[in-house]
This record gives sequence, structure tokens and C-alpha cells, in this order.
Amino acid sequence: MLNGKKTSRRTVLKATLGGAALAAAPGLIKYANAASDFKIGLFIPLSGPAALFGPSAKNCGELAIDEVNKSGGVLGRQAKLYIADAGVPPAEAAKSAVRLMLRDKVDLIVGNHDSAVRQAIVGAVKGKIPYVYSPVYEGGECSPNVFMLGETPQQQLMPAIDHFAKTKGVKSYYLIGNDYVWPRVTNKLAKKYIAAAGGNVVGEEYIPFGPANKFESAVTRIKSAKPDLVVITLVGGDNVNFNRTFAEFGLDKNISRVASLLEENTLMGVGAESSGNLYSSMAYFANIESAENKAFVSSYKAKFGAKAPVLNTLAESNYAGIIFGAALTNKTGSTNAAKLAATAEGLTVSTPTGAVTMRNRHTDKNMYLAKCNGTQFKIAKVFNKVPSGQTCT
Amino acid sequence: MDPIAVTIALNIIYEITTLFVIVLGLAIVFGLLKVMNLAHGEFIMVGAYAAYFCQDQGWPYIMAIPFALFIAAILGYLIEFTLIRHLYRRPFDTLLVTWGLSFLLREVIELVYGKGFQSLSNPIPGSIDVLGEPYPSYRALVMVIAILSVLVLWVWYRRSLTGARVKAMVENPELARAVGIRVDNLARHTFVVGTCFGALAGVMLAPLTRVEPFMGLDYILTSFFVLVVGGVGTILGLSSGAGVIGGVQSVVSNLFGETSGYFGVLLIAILFLWLKPNGLISRS
Amino acid sequence: MTSPIYSFDGVTGGYGGGIVVNDVSGCVEQGQVLFVLGRNGVGKSTLLHLLFGYLQLIRGSVRFKQMDLVGKKPEEMSSLGITFCPQERVVFGELSVLENLILMRGNRDITHLEGYFEHFPILAERLSQDAGTLSGGERKILSFVRALSEGRELLMLDEPTEGVQRENILHIAQLIRERKKSGATFVIVEQNLELLDEVGDHVLVMDQGKVMISSRKDLISREDIVRHLGV
Repeated sequence: MLNGKKTSRRTVLKATLGGAALAAAPGLIKYANAASDFKIGLFIPLSGPAALFGPSAKNCGELAIDEVNKSGGVLGRQAKLYIADAGVPPAEAAKSAVRLMLRDKVDLIVGNHDSAVRQAIVGAVKGKIPYVYSPVYEGGECSPNVFMLGETPQQQLMPAIDHFAKTKGVKSYYLIGNDYVWPRVTNKLAKKYIAAAGGNVVGEEYIPFGPANKFESAVTRIKSAKPDLVVITLVGGDNVNFNRTFAEFGLDKNISRVASLLEENTLMGVGAESSGNLYSSMAYFANIESAENKAFVSSYKAKFGAKAPVLNTLAESNYAGIIFGAALTNKTGSTNAAKLAATAEGLTVSTPTGAVTMRNRHTDKNMYLAKCNGTQFKIAKVFNKVPSGQTCT
Repeated sequence: MDPIAVTIALNIIYEITTLFVIVLGLAIVFGLLKVMNLAHGEFIMVGAYAAYFCQDQGWPYIMAIPFALFIAAILGYLIEFTLIRHLYRRPFDTLLVTWGLSFLLREVIELVYGKGFQSLSNPIPGSIDVLGEPYPSYRALVMVIAILSVLVLWVWYRRSLTGARVKAMVENPELARAVGIRVDNLARHTFVVGTCFGALAGVMLAPLTRVEPFMGLDYILTSFFVLVVGGVGTILGLSSGAGVIGGVQSVVSNLFGETSGYFGVLLIAILFLWLKPNGLISRS
Repeated sequence: MTSPIYSFDGVTGGYGGGIVVNDVSGCVEQGQVLFVLGRNGVGKSTLLHLLFGYLQLIRGSVRFKQMDLVGKKPEEMSSLGITFCPQERVVFGELSVLENLILMRGNRDITHLEGYFEHFPILAERLSQDAGTLSGGERKILSFVRALSEGRELLMLDEPTEGVQRENILHIAQLIRERKKSGATFVIVEQNLELLDEVGDHVLVMDQGKVMISSRKDLISREDIVRHLGV
């Protein structure tokens, strides 16, 4: 009996070691046919607070690679993904970027993460290889050889606020966001758009990241400030908690809300009962009724099944980032930084959100204002080809 | 009375009472068994998912209570029997084990339900009038239940012989064994009571908050603050800890915003650790 | 001669694998009192801890009414009819005197305690007070009454008279005599010979973990005992 136990433990050990060796094997194979691949380093959040988007972002990355390869690859080579975790501290991400460049010799980096990580990667890469930054962000990045696909505050809020002022007679605004750079910059710009639309800001507050936030006091302040519209730049769980508390106190009946990062998962958490008069302003929703998006959704479902992680703006931007990076490189014919920059200006690429055109290393793109209908988005208004307002040269 | 003042006062009471419910299970296990259960937040999470399961099945919300208790009791017994009982009087080891356990519980829930948010319907939508101000009914009910449960638990612990046996076990386990108290079983039941209170807190709070695998992490830090301030081992200490932490958080947030509220709590916790490490009221 | 109701043979053991008690044997008949005597630190309390199951025996056997007690845990003893009063930390200080007395009963009825209160009125006066507020001697009395009131067949008492006033030692003796008559058996560790004189039947004198004298009390002179207790 004792003997038997010993043997079985050893067998388990062997199996574990064998497994580890197997897991290491693909790495070896990668080295073997390294020369022929066009390597794309992909930063997506696999851990940390945004890890929720990891699986869908990874899927979209793989889908994009499939499609790039189906139409001939990049510079005649097969595209291949090298995935790195972006849900780590910026210094760690910088190390990963250096590793991808020096060890794996990637030709292009695509990233989907916050600005702190972007700045770390920009600092590590130093423009040596092109870097496509794909998610929604506050704007302001102009480093050489970096290309921004995501929507800026101007795209998210300028037409939306104008729309609320004109069609709903919104006059007073309350701004609430998490306490970091994206909400603060977004709200700074939002105040300009509000003033331009003839409205006034009756309250503005920022909620720290990290602790378990409760929103009773914020909701009570909003209740006494009586705004017509609350502009929300909270993210993730705070966005869920705020909107649930807001509706629970009955404020949803008379006060509209517009959020800048309310995607499919977050809305699921907010729930049908708490989403009355709640809007989201983004460049992508999974149910956009365009031919590009329908094709995208159906190939996503075909590849990953009906039960695959739900599509959302961050996953889509990841797909778009790879498609854009491949198109840019192919059109340029090389990864030479100066040539890429020249090609990029005015380059139009078709993505699920519609055709995007690069200007000043940001994109003019379609923006959608969606109204929440239960836990579904219903597109209320499309703003075509909205400029980013960025001025990189 | 100023309507906003009424709402603010109710918010403060809500903050304190829910904090009490959140910390209760942790305080029982730590105060009586000296086991610092870092997976306490995950039991709250399990309770919330149990409620979600019931909603998914189309059962009435009240069914979530027995169901969550059932799940938490099974988990509690299993965990106590396989892990915790070997580690009594080894506080650092229990810290590590329950920390690992918290990962495991999150992973299991993630496997079943995924990483995404789930939402629970409010079982009692609408609001009631409190001094002429509307206040969400379900919140009011949660507050009433929390206050009642403090009172019932307090009276029970002071008056019942089972409560006395628990006290006996904590104070003098050797003598407790001599008079025939099965300390192993009593400790196991006590641990399970702790996990069950965690799950109950999850059921109560699930309709009010976000439900996702990592939600437990929200609760564990504040819970420790409450224990630091209140001291362990007495219900009075626990109540005063919840009162101070919840009160400071709520009052400062209302006056100066959420960031200040958070720093207020942090400051209080640090001051207590420094100047009054045994908390306001602690077992001698 | 009747066979002993409680016997232990070759008991050897101690704390953490060390040997404090070495090859100690003894026995007691029903309704009788076995006194374990000896100076401080000769292993008397360790012997009781071994017999009551707090410590594991390295060798030896323990039998009560033909039942093998080796390997039984302390918390199982009460259901087998045995109770124990420790030498130190004898009561639950955070519980009231009343709670100490009725802890393992199903209700708060105290009629069964009235007889004890006649002997020790101080307990009746302090029923609702925390036991931690009692003096050392009063705690010993509370512990003794608690054990007696459980109504077990075998009582193991570790220095029940330590710190107790002489008058109350006589009350203790009288209660032991009454209980012996109704068939209860005692194993008592003592340093005080007064209680031995009052209620003793058998004597076991220990020194350095070993048995020096094992005898019926009436077959041994007090001088022999005192010689072993002296320095």
C-alpha cells in the first residue's frame, strides 16, 4: 500500500514535469520557424481589474490574425501573435515590451490597456517598432511611431452633449468619474462642450480607485444638485455600483445619465432595473447594424461558438488595432518609421465600427449614442466620421 | 427636517449596519477561534452567487437564504475538516491557507459563471417614506434586519447556555473538555456559523452591489479596519468598530467627498493600530 | 475483597514525549477514595492528566468498570461517568457562578444545587457574579461543587482544598463522605493530609514519577507518609 502510494506520487510528479515540458514546447517551435513570421506583440489585460476583458480581447486578437493571414498576411509573411499581460504594473509591462522586442523580435506592438501602461511601453519601445494603441483614451499621445485608434473625449462627448442639449433641453450637468487621468481630462474637455452647448456644471467629483466604493453620499449629492444629465466616467465595478445605487434611490426616473465606458459586461452588472434613462457614448457596440459589424460578429461566433465571451468595445478595438497595423504595414511595404508615418496620414481602414481614417495619428470614426434598454444597447443616434480633435504632427 | 439631512442620516445608519453584517462572520471566527479568515470576502461572494443561482432558477428571493446557508455550511464544514482544524493556534498558517482558499473559491465561481458581472433584481423595488423622504425599501429592510440580528445575537450570546459554552471553550479549552464540551465539534460549528454569516451578508447585499468573482476583495479590507478599531471577541466591540468606521466613512464622504472618506477611515485605522492596538473594547 | 472499579497499570508518559510518570499502577474500589500524595513536582498532576486523557500514554492501561480508557479523549470522559477538577484555572472566569454550575445542563433550574448551597452559602450569594471575581479558595469550592453536581461515578480532583479555609475543607470532606455512601469513587491528588485523614481509603505516594508506597490507608502509619512528603 505504502509502496503503491509512493509510485503514484512519483507518477504524478513525472506527469507534471512532462506537462511542463510540453507547455514549453510551443516556444521552441516558435523559434524554429521564426524568420518567416510577421510577429505582432499583443498587450491585453490577462490579470488585474480589467482581466474581465482578457478572454474576449484574446479571441478578437486571434480572429484578426486569421483574417490577416487569409488575405495574404503581412509583407507576404504569416502574421503571428505574441500575447503579453497588460494587467500588470507599468514597469512590468515595459519589461515585457523589451522582451518582445529583443527576444521574440516582434515587428509590431498592439496594445489595449490604460495610459500608464501605454506610457511605459512607449518609453521602452522608443519608436523602434510601430505601436498601435487601440482603446478609448483621453488623447494627448504624440510620440513617434505610435498610432492611436481609440476614441477621444471630443469624439465621445462633443456631439453627444450637443445632442442632449438640443433634443432633450439638457441644461445642468453633474460630472462623476474615477480619480485618474482619463476621467479628469475627459471632464475638463466636457466642461468646454457643456459651455458651448449653453449648459452649466452643477457638480463634479472623483472617486478613488481601489477601495470598495459606495455611492450613497454621491447619489445624495446628485439628488440635491438636481442636474438634468449625469456624465459618468466611472469604470468597471464602480460604474455598476454607482448606477445601481442611483436607480435604487429613484433618481433614474428624472435624471438622464451618459457614460463614456459602459460596455456590454458592465451593463449586465448594472442590470435591467437600474438602466432607465442611461446612455452610453462609444465607437462600438456589439449590436451595431452595419455590414462590417455583422460580418465581424458572425465570424466571431463561428470561430468561438455561441457561448464565447461577449463582444465589447475593448475587444473590438483590439481586433481593429491588428487589422489597422497590418493594413498600414502592407500599404507602406516596410516597418520603416518615417515611411509608416507618411502612409498613415489619411489611411482609411474598414473596421467593425465602420471605416476609420487616420488623421494626426488618431482616427476620425463613427460614434454611437446608445440608450440602454434593459441589459441591451439600442443605438439612439449615429454621428458619422467624428474627428478626434488631436493635433499630432 | 431638511430632506437631504434625513437621507444622509439614513445613509450613515445603512453604512454602519451593513458593515456590521459584513464583518460579523469574520469577527466570530477570529474572535472565538483566532482564525483570521482571509477568504471571508469570498464567502460573501458565494452567498451572492447562491442568490444569483436562485434568481436564475426563478425561485423567490427569500429562497436564497436557506440555499446560501446550505452551500456555506457544506463549504464551511469541508474546509474546517480538511484544513482549518489542523491549524488552530497557528495564526500565520491559517492566514496563508485561507488566502489560498480565497483564490480557489474565486476560480471555482469563475469557472462556473465566468468573470463577468451578474445582476440581481431588487426583491423589494420602490421606496418607503421616512420622515417625509423617500428611501429605498430594500435598503430600509436590510437595515432593520441588520439591527434586529445584532440584538438577537447579543441577547443569545449573553443568555444562552450554548453561548456560554462557546465562551467557556474560548477562555479555557482544557476545562471545557473536562466538563464534556466537545471542543473540536464546537469549534467546527463556530467556524461554520462564521461562513454562514458571510454568505448571509452576500445574500443581503447582492441586489445592492456588483456581483462578480472578485467582489469579496471589496469587503475584506474594511472588515479588518472594523476589527482593528472595535477589538475582537465582543459584540459590543464589533458594533462600536462598525460604528466608528462606517460613521467616519459616511460622514466624511458626505462632507468632503469619497476620497476624503476613504482616507479618514485609513487614518482612523492607523491611529488605532498605533495608539490603541487592542481596539475600543477587547476581551481581557 | 471486591474487584476494583477503577484501575491503572504501568502508566508511563509525560509532556511532549518525555517521561514524567514512570510505571505507576493503582486501583480503587467503588465507594472508596484513592489519594495520590507526594511533594511538588513528582508527577501527581501529570498522572491525572494521563489518566483523564489529556496526555497520551506511552505505556500502560487504564480501566473503569471493565472499560478500556486508553485513547479516550477528556471530552468523552463525562459520558463514561468520569469528571475532573484541574489544579489550576479551575473555573470559567468569564462565566457567572451560575453558568459554571449549569453549563452542561439543558436548563437553568438550580433545585439540584440547593444542598450544596447549604454547605457553601457564598456560592448562592454570588450566583450572578462572574466566577473570575471569586477568591482562589472560593473558585476551588465552585469547581468542586460543579464536579459533584454532575453526579458522575468517578471524580478525579487535583488538590481540591488548595487555598480553601479549614471550615470549608470539613464541608468538602462531609460531601465526599456522603457521595461515597451513594457509591461514587474518587481519585484525589493532595498535599494536605487533613482531607486524607477525613475520607481516605487508599494511598499512593509518589516520588520522582514513581510509586513509593501503595497501600490501604489503615495499613500504613502517618509517619511513613510524612517521611516521603518531607524534604
